[in-house]
Amino acid sequence: MSDEKDLLARSLCWNCHSELGGEYFCDHCIKIQPAPSQLDYFQRFSLPRHLTINLQDLERRFHELSRKFHPDLFQRGSDQEKAISLENSALLNTAYRTLRDPILRVEYLIRLEEGAVKDIPAKAPADLLEEILELQESLEEYKQVGKTAPEKSADLRKTLLVEQKRIGSRKMVLEKDLFSLFEEWDRLQDQHLFKPDGQQAHRRSLLQRMKDLLSARAYLKTVLQDLDEGLHDHHP
Amino acid sequence: MAYSNKVIEHYNNPRNMGSFAKDEKEIGTGIVGAPECGDVMKLQIKVESGRIVDAKFKTFGCGSAIASSSLATEWMKGKTLDEAEKIKNTEIVQELSLPPVKIHCSVLAEDAIKAAIADYRKKTDNNGSI
Repeated sequence: MSDEKDLLARSLCWNCHSELGGEYFCDHCIKIQPAPSQLDYFQRFSLPRHLTINLQDLERRFHELSRKFHPDLFQRGSDQEKAISLENSALLNTAYRTLRDPILRVEYLIRLEEGAVKDIPAKAPADLLEEILELQESLEEYKQVGKTAPEKSADLRKTLLVEQKRIGSRKMVLEKDLFSLFEEWDRLQDQHLFKPDGQQAHRRSLLQRMKDLLSARAYLKTVLQDLDEGLHDHHP
Repeated sequence: MAYSNKVIEHYNNPRNMGSFAKDEKEIGTGIVGAPECGDVMKLQIKVESGRIVDAKFKTFGCGSAIASSSLATEWMKGKTLDEAEKIKNTEIVQELSLPPVKIHCSVLAEDAIKAAIADYRKKTDNNGSI
């Protein structure tokens, strides 16, 4: 990407002050250079801002860059070199962990895009919240009933186990819906290179749908965690 | 991160925890959630001649969310709807000394106040027009 080269070219080598060509090392004195902070995680791996990522390819790129920055290589270097290699490696690890996980990846992409496409409020799904609240109330009741009323406790447990399964599969369906939007986003990104102003509305509505799905998923995830914990800790 | 003493106090002794029957006509119910953390909050008010005579909450979330809603119910009692609507999340932040990462809990409480009032108004408007 030419943007990336521009960003890198703007700075000078910290060691010999010659202009940097566009790599993580100075062409002139071959010293390691700090990764430009303007680079987003996709750019760090020289990847387009796509949501579908080939994980093997990403891993290969990660290892390639890791080998260049690894602190072990700079054991005998100056303090400055050690610090830069450490920081570059830490940034690289964070970028890799984020892009490797599809949920973290899409959350990160939305944050990036919100800089450009502003104000995408997540709609709170009212009926979902109400449902979750009722479920949490039954869970609370189950925890309190405990051993004093074994029959009631067993009944509640049975109901909660069914709910746990249902919520779990609902979360999976939601994730499937979310992932199905990844391709749509990628297609739009590719077209975007040719006519950047063409589909702002489409981009926005896609981001909105992804954000809504993520927010619904967050509620399901929390209640699922509470259910797992509550059912595990409290036995009839 | 450590909770402030006031948060811990509300957490250990939550005020007005519980529920009212949702369908009663003097009750307004607000249910809101924070998508960042999956917290869910229910806040209810009981209104008599334009004044909030009682309030209850149920919050499933972190200590700050519980303290924010507990404080909100305390502050709402005795206020008129218009007065209660003016409660700002920044006042909750200040009272509870919430750190920046927990500000969204106070926003949640403010949203819940507004939602409960809106629900009550909607109910009474409908009753008036039918």
